[in-house]
Amino acid sequence: MTQKATARWWGLISVAAVVSLAACAPGSGTAEPDETEGGGGEISTDIGDVEATLTVWDQEVRGGQNEQIERLNEAFMEEHPGVTIDRVSQSFDDLATTLRLALTDDEAPDVVQANNGRNTMGAFVEAGQLLPLNEYADAYGWYDRYPESVLQYSTYSEDGTVFGEGNVYGLPQVGEVVGVFYSKSKLESLGLEVPATWEEFDAALAAAKGAGEIPMQLGNIEAWPAGHVFGPLQGAYADPADITNLGLGNEGASWTAPENEEAAAKLQEWVNAGYFNEGPNGTDYDAAWQALAAGNGVFLIGGSWLAADLEDAMGEDVGFFVPAAEDGGPLATTGGTGLPFAVTQDSDVPDVAAAYIDFITSDDAMEIIAETGNLPVNRTAELAPESGVQAEVYGVFGEVTSSGSLLPYLDYATPTMGDTLGQSLQGLIAGQSTPAELTQALEADYGQFVGSAG
Amino acid sequence: MPYGFLLPAFALYAAFMLFPIARAVQLSVYEWDGLTVGTFVGLDNYAAVVTDPRLREAFGHALILIVFFSLLPVAIGLVLAAVLNRAKVRGLPFFRTVIFLPQVVAMVVVAVAWRQIYAPDGSLNAALRGVGLDGLARPWLGDFTFSLPAVGTIGTWVSMGLVTVLLLAGMSRIPSEQYEAARLDGAGAVREFFAITLPAVRGEITVALTLTIIAALKTFDLVYVTTGGGPGTSTTVPSYEVYRRAFELGEVGMAAAVGIVLTVLIFAINLVVNRVGDRSTT
Amino acid sequence: MMTSRFERTANYVVLIAFAAFALFPILSILVTSIGPETASIAREGRTFHWENFTAAWSQGQFSRYMATSVLVSVIVVSVAVLCSLMAGYAFGTMRFRGEQVLFYVFLLGIMVPTEAIIVPLYFDMRSVGLTNTIWGVALPQIAQSIAFGTYWMRAYFRGSNRSIIEAGRLDGAGTHRILWQILVPMGRPAITTLVLLTFMWTWNEFLIPLVMSPSGQVRTAPLALAFFQGQYVQGTTLLAAAAVLVALPVVVVYLFLQRHFIRGMIEGAVRE
Repeated sequence: MTQKATARWWGLISVAAVVSLAACAPGSGTAEPDETEGGGGEISTDIGDVEATLTVWDQEVRGGQNEQIERLNEAFMEEHPGVTIDRVSQSFDDLATTLRLALTDDEAPDVVQANNGRNTMGAFVEAGQLLPLNEYADAYGWYDRYPESVLQYSTYSEDGTVFGEGNVYGLPQVGEVVGVFYSKSKLESLGLEVPATWEEFDAALAAAKGAGEIPMQLGNIEAWPAGHVFGPLQGAYADPADITNLGLGNEGASWTAPENEEAAAKLQEWVNAGYFNEGPNGTDYDAAWQALAAGNGVFLIGGSWLAADLEDAMGEDVGFFVPAAEDGGPLATTGGTGLPFAVTQDSDVPDVAAAYIDFITSDDAMEIIAETGNLPVNRTAELAPESGVQAEVYGVFGEVTSSGSLLPYLDYATPTMGDTLGQSLQGLIAGQSTPAELTQALEADYGQFVGSAG
Repeated sequence: MPYGFLLPAFALYAAFMLFPIARAVQLSVYEWDGLTVGTFVGLDNYAAVVTDPRLREAFGHALILIVFFSLLPVAIGLVLAAVLNRAKVRGLPFFRTVIFLPQVVAMVVVAVAWRQIYAPDGSLNAALRGVGLDGLARPWLGDFTFSLPAVGTIGTWVSMGLVTVLLLAGMSRIPSEQYEAARLDGAGAVREFFAITLPAVRGEITVALTLTIIAALKTFDLVYVTTGGGPGTSTTVPSYEVYRRAFELGEVGMAAAVGIVLTVLIFAINLVVNRVGDRSTT
Repeated sequence: MMTSRFERTANYVVLIAFAAFALFPILSILVTSIGPETASIAREGRTFHWENFTAAWSQGQFSRYMATSVLVSVIVVSVAVLCSLMAGYAFGTMRFRGEQVLFYVFLLGIMVPTEAIIVPLYFDMRSVGLTNTIWGVALPQIAQSIAFGTYWMRAYFRGSNRSIIEAGRLDGAGTHRILWQILVPMGRPAITTLVLLTFMWTWNEFLIPLVMSPSGQVRTAPLALAFFQGQYVQGTTLLAAAAVLVALPVVVVYLFLQRHFIRGMIEGAVRE
């Protein structure tokens, strides 16, 4: 070919390529969510002899979690022989990667376990990919089954802007609560009682330090664990209603309020007083609780998901408590639920999906959940084991959800809050930033999000 | 004639690599969350890449990693290859194998092992304390200053085997007469190295640099599993930013833009390396 | 040839030091993998816990994932190596229009980070129905491997002895025959190297199988590691055991073919 001819061919090909690419905007080829057929009144709670395949995506991969979902799936299929459950289980991280992409597929799953946060559930609601479950909630009585403080974590306004109010999009099976694990023997040898308030807890830390112990273990290499220390601590200073607004990313509060800075200052005070293990920012999350179990440390502020492992390692020696802001006052601590199970908008079998969700969160299901070492979100006080740290964990969760305040995880607030909070706390712990700088960074993120929303 | 030989490779390559790259370029001029329809934003995403301090930091870190993934391993590789090539030591195949092993193991696994080594109570600090260097012991992956070099050292560990073997290849082609002559002239091992060995492997050094620089700039797995970009933002890297935006933040267009910028950077640097390398071998 | 004792000692010191540096982290993984899984198991007092491997195998659904890995690897390696051989041959021994530009186009494939193209790739694969199929997982990896393979084989063919090609031509052999019957047999070490590198990279790839098969039907071995990573805590011991299982096939193949492998690197390395 002559040079000119070749050049002309290349030119033509490039132009054709550019035109064809520029033609369609991304996302225009994806399946548009169907408008809900028959506005209301068409749902059914009786799926009797329906024949269907229910595709469920969950992240209940490990140990007790896997066991409970398997048992419940089997029981459901027994009760409804026409239904086959096609279960796809993947880790929390993998689910986060694949779910967003798969939702718009023609063959999207029916039931998905979606992270409550704004990045995931909020984004999905905004994109109209999840089915609002209010009618089913009324029919099945979910509003009675769950306290409002729990159900708010699966509730979004229809456009996804308000977290905590609006439509119910999913139901969780398990609860989570953050508190203080401690070594009973160590506490005894220090001559201390279980702290009832944050002030007493502070004093206990000082006493431990004075006696040459590591007062508190923290494994913050992944940045989010410090948020679980800061969260409950914030509850000691700030009003739960404000914290809830801050945590859910709803307007009406401000990070720069002095109470929040006080909480951050307290945390830094603990770091400077040497109350933490050496190098918390470089310590693995698992290494921290394993250190507590091995006898290095008195306290560990962590979540209820640690109870099973800690009990396995420490037996009777481990305990759990949440200090109150004032003596005899209500408990306010960070917590929430496990990932809720939601129904996708495009599902062909919403009735079956809803029945399934109802089944795995029913009162009977709660028993199986408790049996397999998880913290059931309902009937908690009832199903508490006789003794041991799990009994204390159940007790605290029950108390917080009924008469106290369950504070949301602070990283729910905005899509980027997880990073902002994690990085700021790592900076605070390392002495790189001041409490004021921390609250300002959080306010910048929160303020920008709240300002641009709605 | 040659086009016939090229066709199968090019067809598959064009369909499953070039086309996605083109699509990524297309995506980069949209704002898209992966769920709904995207909006056209022109070059806004690219402007953000340039102005966002966090992204600039990430690119800066990637450039620093070149020292650890590329320059250090080449230096180490030169020494190791020279020794393996010239030395009369027993068990050469064993050493060759062992030094190459880090390349073979999946990055996720590598990260798990090194996290344990770098732990505040891990083997590195234990060793430092053992020899009395207590002052140097620190929480490596949690230290704002040292986390990037710590991650970089893992990269050195992974790359040095590949580089060694590449350089060994070149060195084994050097005729031994050259070395004999040098010895007769009274040259020691060090002079031998600089006068004979080094000049002969310039081509191989270029290849090693190319492959390792690409690896340094493309790093994702390692950072993801060891530090997740922390502490703070001290170990963020561009590929991780791409992943975060695409999968966690739902900013697919922005992710594509960062990815394209990274690709262009990799291409430019390698162009320079190869030009310099070519010139020195002619 | 005489080497001073100092030189010899220095050589040993250097080699041993770096060998130890290379081995230590790998050994630590092995040690972790045979440790006790939980504190209660630790109280049983045994030192070696070989049952971790069986536990990891079943919990990680390895029988399924390994099989998929093998299938994907075989497909990717055979198709990619074949295509790379032919393309490298063209670049390495023939002159034609646009050779330089086209070569850089191929080189681009090594330089693009997977994360940048994975999302558009997913949606395009989905629109042609290739997601959750073996080919959906294999084809992108074939493309990636072709990029490196072409680079590699071009280097080898460029450095191959011209006189042999001439001799073949004089004997009346066509271009095809020269490739398949002369150069390929000669190039076994370089090709073996390519096979092994491609296998290694395909085996260890995790992002493409994860995204291309979101419903998990075509998942490969490295993805099994995720089963041991929970939302908050991970099962480190079983994770280490699983990691050993994932790495084992590559290590075994590598050790077994080490002679060809290293020799292939030696001879296949670039003669630019």
